[in-house]
Amino acid sequence: MNAKKQLTEGLITNNPVLVQQIGLCATMAISTSLFNGIGMGLSVLIILTCCNVVISAIRKIIPGQVRLAIFVVVIAGFVTIVDLLLQAFIPALSSALGVFIPLIVVNCIIIGRAEAFSSKEGVFLSFRDGVFQGLGYTCVLVLMCLVRELLGSGTIGGGLLNGASSFITLDGTGAGFRIIPEGFGAGALVLPFGGFLTLGCLMAVMQYALRKSNEKKARKEKEVKE
Amino acid sequence: MKKVIDFVKPAAILLLVAAVVALVLGMVDSVTRDRIAEIAEQTKTNAMQAVLPAASYEQIELGAETPADINEAYAAEGGGWVVQVTETGSQGAVTLMVGVDADLACTGISVTKSSETAGLGAIASQQSDAGEAFRSQFVGQTGTVAVTKDGGIINALTGATITSRAISTGVTSAIALCETLG
Repeated sequence: MNAKKQLTEGLITNNPVLVQQIGLCATMAISTSLFNGIGMGLSVLIILTCCNVVISAIRKIIPGQVRLAIFVVVIAGFVTIVDLLLQAFIPALSSALGVFIPLIVVNCIIIGRAEAFSSKEGVFLSFRDGVFQGLGYTCVLVLMCLVRELLGSGTIGGGLLNGASSFITLDGTGAGFRIIPEGFGAGALVLPFGGFLTLGCLMAVMQYALRKSNEKKARKEKEVKE
Repeated sequence: MKKVIDFVKPAAILLLVAAVVALVLGMVDSVTRDRIAEIAEQTKTNAMQAVLPAASYEQIELGAETPADINEAYAAEGGGWVVQVTETGSQGAVTLMVGVDADLACTGISVTKSSETAGLGAIASQQSDAGEAFRSQFVGQTGTVAVTKDGGIINALTGATITSRAISTGVTSAIALCETLG
């Protein structure tokens, strides 16, 4: 398995949110501003990569009967570490994401990759899988945040960009760039059901693009045969 | 027929993994604990300064009959009190700091902890013009504070008024508490 194939899988053909459709709960709940989206995406990426590496490293000694319990202990450990570090060093992000950081423990992306990938493959492959699947998750979150924030609140980069003292702020006070005047945004998109609408549209676009590219590939193969 | 070792081995490995994880967590906690406490203290002081500026605050011992929604009360140097109350909002607890001056009028509020609906009740805790406008309505209020729907003068954030009512209730009980103190 080469890196390019793993990257395409994580970002497109086996994207955790748009294709595997796992980890949707947090995706709906937090994708309301770019600050939240990038923060959550990177937290999941780091936790997923660490868990993948550790689980892959100890995969030979994990007894089959208690493997899920061991996965959960390892995952919960890394989630708590990230939670504590965020509270201590990026408190604004910690309070914006609130309960969704501890809830990464039960985010099925991580236990799903542990069960489906890292408990079977080598450490290096698992590391790459964690990074690429995490990137796929982050990309979808960022896309959803951009759409929902722009149409719902009328800004781009709220909390992260255009802060009082610098262009990029980590204290969550950035005002973002206002595209639509205040009060004219479709506030519904910021609510959870707006998240479902956005995600549904993204999935539809994704499926359409995947089918087009598959048809193209099939046609090419046919031509080669003829 | 399974041997004893077949049962003991998985349990022993699980225990080992859990012990290693616990050890690592203990180390991370010892590094971050002081900083987290410091940040919590700083957030609290900032909120208190925002609602009623004073050189120092002295915590007041609350009696057993204090209503359950009052968490803490502080006497500000130079008169007035800052009260921390917790009310039930639409998505969980809403914790706010309420400043009350010596004449029992509210000097300002600050929402320190809440998980209200984004785009609706969450405005109450945001550093935006809308949030500022909502919170500033409470300045100067006395006695019982209520939203317009309940016959008061506070313009609620949303039609459902859940967050706005919770905050009004909090301010009312803070003022009531200060009446017994002062």
